[in-house]
Amino acid sequence: MAKTVTIVVDDIEYEVPAGMNLVDVCKQYAGVDIPVFCYHPKLGHDGNCRMCLVELATPRKNPHTGEMELAWFPTLQTACTQKTSEGMTVRTKSQKVIDGRREILEFLLSSHPLDCPICDKGGECPLQELTLRHGPGTSRMYWEEKMHLGKHVPLGELIYLDQERCILCARCIRFQDNIADDPVLAFDQRGRHQQIITASSPGFNSIFSGDTTDICPVGALTSADFRFNARPWEMVQVATICSHCPVGCNMSFDTRTDREAGGRTTIKRIMPRQNERVNEIWICDKGRFAHHHMEHPERLTKPLIRRNGRLVEAGWEEALREVTAQLQHAGENVAAIAGGRLPNEDLFALQKLIRAQGSHHIDAYPPVRGGEFTASVGVGVGTNLADMGSGDAIVVIAGDLHEEAPLWWLRVKAAAERGAMLITIGGRETRLDKFATHSLRYDYTEEVATLNALLGCMKLTGLPRSVDGLKEAVKGARAFKPDKAIKDAAEALAGANNVIALVGHEGLDGQGSHNLAQAVANLLMATGHFGRPNNGLIVVWPTANGQGASDIGVRPDYRPGYQRIPVPGMGYTDILAALADNTLRALYVVGADPLFDDPAAEQALRSTLGTIIVQDMFLTATAEVADVVLPSQSAAEREGTYTSGERRVQRFYPAIEPCGQSQPDWLIIQTIGKRLGHGNPSPSAAAVLLEIAKTVPQYAGITYQTLAEVEPQIPDVGGEDLYYGGTAFRNRHGLGVQWPAAAESGGALSAHPVEAAESIEPEEDMLLVVPITLLYDAEPVFHKTSLLHGRVPGPDILMHPEDARYLDIADGDVVRLSIDGKDITVVVRFDEQAPEGAALLPRRMQVQGAPMAATFATLVRWDVEALER
Amino acid sequence: MFKAGFAILQGLATTIKHVFERPVTVEYPEKRKEFSERFKGRHELKRYDNGLEKCIGCSLCSAACPADAIWVEAAENTDKERYSPGERYAKTYEINMLRCIFCGYCEDACPTEAIVLEKHIELSYYDRESAIFTKEMLLVPPPPGVWGTPKSVTPHSFDRAIPVMENPE
Ligand code: SF4
Ligand code: SF4
Ligand code: SF4
Ligand code: SF4
Ligand code: FES
Repeated sequence: MAKTVTIVVDDIEYEVPAGMNLVDVCKQYAGVDIPVFCYHPKLGHDGNCRMCLVELATPRKNPHTGEMELAWFPTLQTACTQKTSEGMTVRTKSQKVIDGRREILEFLLSSHPLDCPICDKGGECPLQELTLRHGPGTSRMYWEEKMHLGKHVPLGELIYLDQERCILCARCIRFQDNIADDPVLAFDQRGRHQQIITASSPGFNSIFSGDTTDICPVGALTSADFRFNARPWEMVQVATICSHCPVGCNMSFDTRTDREAGGRTTIKRIMPRQNERVNEIWICDKGRFAHHHMEHPERLTKPLIRRNGRLVEAGWEEALREVTAQLQHAGENVAAIAGGRLPNEDLFALQKLIRAQGSHHIDAYPPVRGGEFTASVGVGVGTNLADMGSGDAIVVIAGDLHEEAPLWWLRVKAAAERGAMLITIGGRETRLDKFATHSLRYDYTEEVATLNALLGCMKLTGLPRSVDGLKEAVKGARAFKPDKAIKDAAEALAGANNVIALVGHEGLDGQGSHNLAQAVANLLMATGHFGRPNNGLIVVWPTANGQGASDIGVRPDYRPGYQRIPVPGMGYTDILAALADNTLRALYVVGADPLFDDPAAEQALRSTLGTIIVQDMFLTATAEVADVVLPSQSAAEREGTYTSGERRVQRFYPAIEPCGQSQPDWLIIQTIGKRLGHGNPSPSAAAVLLEIAKTVPQYAGITYQTLAEVEPQIPDVGGEDLYYGGTAFRNRHGLGVQWPAAAESGGALSAHPVEAAESIEPEEDMLLVVPITLLYDAEPVFHKTSLLHGRVPGPDILMHPEDARYLDIADGDVVRLSIDGKDITVVVRFDEQAPEGAALLPRRMQVQGAPMAATFATLVRWDVEALER
Repeated sequence: MFKAGFAILQGLATTIKHVFERPVTVEYPEKRKEFSERFKGRHELKRYDNGLEKCIGCSLCSAACPADAIWVEAAENTDKERYSPGERYAKTYEINMLRCIFCGYCEDACPTEAIVLEKHIELSYYDRESAIFTKEMLLVPPPPGVWGTPKSVTPHSFDRAIPVMENPE
């Protein structure tokens, strides 16, 4: 228990923690709102706006009498810069305080344009709110002396600045400097000319830029996406979960009907919903802005059937009849590939259908493994990255969190700044390395070897008895030779109280990601960091619901709830092979687009004689080669649940009307199932969730009721006060449920030694190409948002200048690579941060062809441009 | 008998008396009555003398409306295509006259005196759809000889949405 002190607020005594911020204490313990502008519990104090004035006294010894007495400061003090101490006494309601606040507001408004009627913040504006509550009704200043400044200053193409409205609180600058680590905003000039400027190119270059519009206490920062779109009071907030990455940020769709959309409900903006265990009050710009695919005119509205080689529109009845006939014909020779962004309900329905057909050929796309390890030693229930600090350790392996799971990056970085040990293990430098205490580099294909070496040199005092096979696993690991850096990291790790490991899949295929996750799980098990909060494994899935897909058995080797199948079906790669040699009669692709991402899919999908059924929102590359295409609904049109990488099941709600005749995926699948004689469709998504809870032991007890439970969030930034900005933060719709891993519920745990991957000897003129994931890519769900196009990096291959020089390539050269027999043409960009000996090729870009896993490519020839240069 | 004849004369006298009185009705629609200053009829959206629309699309009228009769959607002005002073203008402005109760709250709420309840009273429709008055129907024509909206203006000449305020006394 932290030390407590007694303070007096408005003549009432309170017992509060020592050293806590006075504004927070007054709000949390005394229920007294001290108005603030520049202070924010997430940003700390800056003391520049003076809005939080209070009368303050602290006890001191009278120099004459030697007695303790209360010494009042002669002037009003800023509460936001005070820390609670014994005997501290404040008055927040005295006339002096009231006068002080009134005058501060008068000064703040002395140059304010007062154009609330057209201001996007109007209606949820802390300045408006606090002026009404504490401000003067009139001003003594002269109107004609108001400063007139730019009202439409673009800080990049996403955020606009209104210089007149800015009150120079520096919240935006402090957020960018201290939280996002993108110090791209600054003050320019001084006095009345002082202004916010952006110092980056492109302007406001940060993937968290949208968050500043939320915390700006006035309407100075507005987003291009929302500008003048609606007034805050007109919108209906619908709780949802971000579907772009495994963090599972809580957000809301703010919706309103729109004449231009023909009276349909449309999404006007996306706001974060506070969930202190998941995203706090932040979301990244992808989550905030990349929602336009949902209402895009290119959405599929009707089923399509291939007739005479062309896809033509058809009715549902016709399409379903066709699909049913094909699946009936295929019998057990059917396979399914499901996108990892699909909600649990859809995934469950799909695996049920495929298994009812007698097949286990089902896999998620992209096929990343590791779910069985999170199910056994995943982070404990109640884990909160914000609890990690001094004495704890976070290990990040084989991934770039900044691009793959931005909010985890943000929170891991914050933990490192609080003093947590951060060990990054990867093939290249990422933005997290700056905060790392230990950075371990491996050559790609040596991921497992590095982890084994790390485990091998840990000094272990007794192994946990609850785990089978641990001794062999550790013995196996001892065979790997650690270098000095690994030994140092092992030593540091040995002293950590809590350890969380986030394991990615950069450069790895399905088996590789499985092996790496096993190696990390072995490490956690051997060191005893599992089965309790703030300890255990997190898999950085490539999609939002990779965890759910694994839990629900969308994989060939496990039924729902990790019940191992004795004779597993075919996984993704085998499915492609089977398609190519026509041993599979039908492929059902739901919410996945392998043809777009995976060059290996090309030949299989184009040449197969089997039927391809694609169910998606768009006519994707895969859909274009399909025999039947079924239109499905976006996450905004239906309800469902996602399971985040931390195994938190979270519900989202329907926000807009369905697009055309599209249907929820689970319903389409179950309707097909009914026609194939596998029982009636469920009456609702809720019923599917109930069935999941019954079938998947881990999900037992998860219902809409438990998912909707909320608890007070501290710090409280979404309350009635409004001075932290925005009304949208409050989480009224549920914080989700984290399901217990086997280590917590008493399940069996086992470790297995992992063999290191075979390293391939490259031939002459070969180049190791490592696919990397970028946040902004060309996937339809992202790329239909044209607002962000300027931020998508070119589809270039990144090379270390040294490597390029060796291969005689210059920056900007166009080269042709042959990867697994397929040629692609790419532009070479020099990147000092690229690893030596490997070229990085971003996946899911306009120029297709980045492989799924690290592989050797042959430099075929220089292209004409390069020769001419 | 005599008594009955007297009663008829009495009745006729009343009638004849009224024949010579001044009529209270007017011969609508040829003739129309003058309304009181405070009369609240169908709204008009006003313009400034330079032809720009006064309405800035702020939706305050619609927020104030107790009958939920007003629907406003805003968009952004540019100096090339300017509808109103400042950054925002009403791209859609509709009043459902079947809902409107002519209370005048919208007029009170409007920060630019754009919406004014005028003296129009002819409000009858064959269907509900035509009871919705669009912006084109509500907007008054520009003053004679002045170009209406949108218009191209000198950059930065109309940056402010709210008319220049007076120094308060
Ligand atoms: S920032 Fe607030 S006070 Fe200023 S114009 Fe906008 S709504 Fe009004
Ligand atoms: S733009 Fe907003 S957050 Fe930034 S200094 Fe100005 S008022 Fe503060
Ligand atoms: S961090 Fe991930 S879940 Fe959160 S908003 Fe960004 S993409 Fe969405
Ligand atoms: S009529 Fe007045 S209150 Fe209504 S939107 Fe226009 S400016 Fe705002
Ligand atoms: S000075 Fe305390 S809130 Fe700004």
